[in-house]
Amino acid sequence: MRTMLVILTAAVIGLGAYSINMHGKNVSLQRTVLAQYTDNLTDASEKLSHLQRSVSQSLLFRDDNAIHNELDSVWRLSSDVRSSMSNIPIGQEMSNDWLSYLGRLGDEAKKTAETGDYEAWREKMPQISTNLQSLSDDWSAATVDFYKNNGKMDVWLRQVDTKNPNTTFDNVQKTLKDYSEKDFPLTLSESDWQKKIELKALQDSVITEKEALEKVKQLFPILKDATFTVTKSSDTAPYPFYHIQFHQDIRLGYVDLTEKGGHLISYLVERPVDEARLSQDEIMKKAEENVKRLGMSDVAFVESRENHQAWHVTFARVHPGDNALVYADGVQLKLAKDTGELLGVNAMEYIQAETIKPQTAKPIDWKTFFDDDVKVQEVRNIYTDNGSYEQRLCYEVIAVRDKNAQETFRIVIDAENHNVLKVEYLT
Amino acid sequence: MRFVSIVFALMLGISIFAIPQNDAIAFTEQQISRGAYGDDVIELQARLQYLGFYKSKIDGKFGYNTYWALRIFQEKYGLPVDGVAGAKTKKALSGYSDYDEGWVKAQLNAGNQFTYYGGIPLERQVKTNTGGGGGGGNSSGSSNNNGTKTQVPPKYTDRDIQLMANAVYGEARGEPYEGQVAVAAVILNRLESPEFPNTISGIIFQPLAFTAVADGQIWLEPNERAKEAVLDAMNGWDPSENALYYFNPKTATSKWIWSRPQIKRIGEHIFCS
Repeated sequence: MRTMLVILTAAVIGLGAYSINMHGKNVSLQRTVLAQYTDNLTDASEKLSHLQRSVSQSLLFRDDNAIHNELDSVWRLSSDVRSSMSNIPIGQEMSNDWLSYLGRLGDEAKKTAETGDYEAWREKMPQISTNLQSLSDDWSAATVDFYKNNGKMDVWLRQVDTKNPNTTFDNVQKTLKDYSEKDFPLTLSESDWQKKIELKALQDSVITEKEALEKVKQLFPILKDATFTVTKSSDTAPYPFYHIQFHQDIRLGYVDLTEKGGHLISYLVERPVDEARLSQDEIMKKAEENVKRLGMSDVAFVESRENHQAWHVTFARVHPGDNALVYADGVQLKLAKDTGELLGVNAMEYIQAETIKPQTAKPIDWKTFFDDDVKVQEVRNIYTDNGSYEQRLCYEVIAVRDKNAQETFRIVIDAENHNVLKVEYLT
Repeated sequence: MRFVSIVFALMLGISIFAIPQNDAIAFTEQQISRGAYGDDVIELQARLQYLGFYKSKIDGKFGYNTYWALRIFQEKYGLPVDGVAGAKTKKALSGYSDYDEGWVKAQLNAGNQFTYYGGIPLERQVKTNTGGGGGGGNSSGSSNNNGTKTQVPPKYTDRDIQLMANAVYGEARGEPYEGQVAVAAVILNRLESPEFPNTISGIIFQPLAFTAVADGQIWLEPNERAKEAVLDAMNGWDPSENALYYFNPKTATSKWIWSRPQIKRIGEHIFCS
């Protein structure tokens, strides 16, 4: 009995010591995290003031060089504040609004520096500068409470989670939303892009659930005996579609079809894959056959990638006017390495179908465009996004730098104005 | 004219027999080109490096660096220059180079930094690695047992696939495969959205964004299924249909998330924009 008591006492003392030690470590850890959050918050608040000043300063100059420097600061500071804001726990909605506002401001500065359209900047920014000042002040007032939490993480998180609609924090959020819409309204290209991804252009008649199932069996004959579960997209989905899950022998997967016209959005199968038995050439032939069988005969091969179980093969629509590849209208296939069975199709971009405006291609002298040790290996015409939601006719150049041919780049150049839109390092 | 033909045929015959027959049966019979991956590519890269044509990492991925090296080899050895490793090219390459498969695979599996140039003792071409890239280094979970890593579209890295696989496994390992692809797609949709950080790491570790980060489940070792799901999402699949958020209605505590326009449900998750 006495021995038991001794053991029990020792155990209780041991547990107590362990618990105190763990608690101490937890508190220390929480303080470290809190210190980092507070640092980010302070950093964001300070840089926000700098950003406001920089926007204001950019309106001082007529001189191109001077305004260019300020635009550069606006772009850099907006990126810095964005980064700090994304590292503080302020609630998803508030974070989204800040990141969006700051990103748009930075993009505007970058675009102005690139295009040299300083008049538009001078016209737009006085109001934005005033709004930013007001946001910065509100933000400082709203976040002051975060410094009064006695180093406790739970106090901070309670502050974030508060549901009181009259808090200064919520006021910032409301103002931010309001300014976002007024200061940076959607451009026509953005609005078109939004309509495109919401499949607004689809005008086909609505198909029934039964017709959707028939369509699935017609597109993928391997599923003719599968067990299906069909659900419809939520009422709030941007476009209505059928979500068809299936089970057939060793295969589990889904097909999504638009309700309007029953267009294939995507198809994906999960099944065990054996050792590769088909060659790369055979897989490519199967990919070509499948893409045609699915009714996409206006596409051409772009690239392929082999991995453990499958090949991913990409095609893009060929523009009928000039045979350039429209990368935004891509189709991806996934084929099993063992039998070449089609394991997936992603046709979302293909059915979104870009509207291409007529553009001209002005030739480029590659010898003067690139440095002496750069050798152009391949050039093809493509259409791609210029970063402002516009599809531009471009030269896609595969070039190799240095005589040893070991550094390969993919450079996308606007065919009309010769702006470099993209540079990728290829391995 | 006939004499010229005979001489030409003789020369061709001699040139074929003149190829040293070091290791002619090492490669598989398959023709490989850009996009291919695996053992044949490892051997191709090693042999091209042995002859000094290939100077990049031996990683089993037939990319542009392999392609140019192969074309230069084909040009130098009088073969049709097409950047495709067919039977003739493989035979010539096997004839002119040595390939120590065991040694190369051992370096890849150990994640060592190494090269495989001919004429230099192998022990002088290896630097023991304790992690990170280099020489076809293989220390991350996104590699298979041959030391080759996963092939992803150029804008993504092996680090991205590893990080996303961790997130997918931590967030959705009990979900159907399409649900896992959808979670990966949400991360990538956020990458395209101006409302979120502009790196995969920034998105995953954004405070309060993912439950798996908050409860530490992101640090569990992801399985192959989660990695495959990430790979499908990186290659374009998006079963979430452009969703930016998802939540489990049984466990969600945020009222705000219920205000988001819902798109569809997969398993236990509701996906919304």
